[in-house]
Amino acid sequence: MLKHVTDYHYPGSLEEAASLHDRESRSFFIAGGTALALSDSKRPVELIDVGELGLDELGLDEAEGKIEIGATTSIQRIVEHQGIKSVLNGFLSESLEEIGSYPIRNAGTLGGSLVHPFPWSDVVTILSVLDTEVTYFHNGERKTRDFSRLYEDDFRSELNESVIEKLSIDLEDETSAAASFRKFNRSEFDVAALNLACRINHDQGEIVEARLAAGARPMLAERANEVEEELTGEKLGPELARKAGNMAAQVFELGDDKKISGEYRETLVEKMTADAIKGIYQEVST
Amino acid sequence: MNLEATINGEELTLEVEPGEVLLDVLRRNGFKSVKEGCKTGDCGACMVLVDGRAMTSCTLFAAQVQGAEIKTVEGLNDELAESLRENFLDKGAVQCGFCIPGVLISAYSLLSSNADPTEEEIKAALDGNLCRCTGYVKQIEAIKETAEELGDS
Repeated sequence: MLKHVTDYHYPGSLEEAASLHDRESRSFFIAGGTALALSDSKRPVELIDVGELGLDELGLDEAEGKIEIGATTSIQRIVEHQGIKSVLNGFLSESLEEIGSYPIRNAGTLGGSLVHPFPWSDVVTILSVLDTEVTYFHNGERKTRDFSRLYEDDFRSELNESVIEKLSIDLEDETSAAASFRKFNRSEFDVAALNLACRINHDQGEIVEARLAAGARPMLAERANEVEEELTGEKLGPELARKAGNMAAQVFELGDDKKISGEYRETLVEKMTADAIKGIYQEVST
Repeated sequence: MNLEATINGEELTLEVEPGEVLLDVLRRNGFKSVKEGCKTGDCGACMVLVDGRAMTSCTLFAAQVQGAEIKTVEGLNDELAESLRENFLDKGAVQCGFCIPGVLISAYSLLSSNADPTEEEIKAALDGNLCRCTGYVKQIEAIKETAEELGDS
């Protein structure tokens, strides 16, 4: 628990929230509260509650081919959304359902998962393989950036100091795409010891574009560009899945932490990559 | 600072510290069914309903529930709650009892939105509740029995 919260603000607008944040350097935005409430920081901080700013819109716009998710939308609301359940054959809702437990998903928000992303974040890994844009306020300016640029330092530091407004997921290529999410954790609602997401766009089984991301390596999720390039143009199948697994184990930077060793992670990445691609192949073949 | 919230149907104004979690505020104000277990959101002993959704009160700042409707087990008094209580007793689903308020909140939340859950759905709803005594089998049976009873009525 944060023991030194000196003030708690309820701003009436995004602009007011941003200006409160600019004024107080040791301040945090709060919506779900899950992570911040568990922080053991002993430095004085102020909290700025953005939970009531109406940033919890959630909609699937089939005509536009987009899902719009307000930053303070709880993970569980996305899981329960009927329209989203059919997106990428359930990929988004089923993978988000792997996060924590029901009460944690009720409190945790998508925006909160991105402002200060944890290395083991499932959300970052999942969104890494989708066409996601993030809209946020930074220094009084409204900006929209491609989520894949999260790995660039300037974007990460900007997000740390921003109010995230919403995420937008483009579903334009969805009809010819399939995706899979894999997670290894020590108990049902423990955080990931390794997570992996794969999305394949294909033309009758031939890979047009591949995305592969792994998180909790134990570092924050990253994409395996070399594996993605190798997969492009290939025909989906069990042999390709095995080959991609071998390659992923070489390409991903993996390390030790108190959960599991780097060596264990290497074996897991190989198996999870192969299983994810096999699963996609089976889905595409039926 | 003041927290204004409806707790178990009563509109209350409570004095809270900006950094206090909801669990501490509820217990200080006499809602003792809300238990402190892990205080890290893992065990579910402190589970409450916030605007109808089950959440762990140890991971929420009290100030976050400004204007919200909070329910603890003490405030569950309808047919569903009564049936759950009876079935938990009949099935022997309660042993030491420490986790039970949280388990009842999860079960109540599930059956409020899904009157006929599958066993898998019941297990998923209890994901956030740790019980070291029962092994969950009797609790799952009690929830199933409640769903059947209320479905028949």
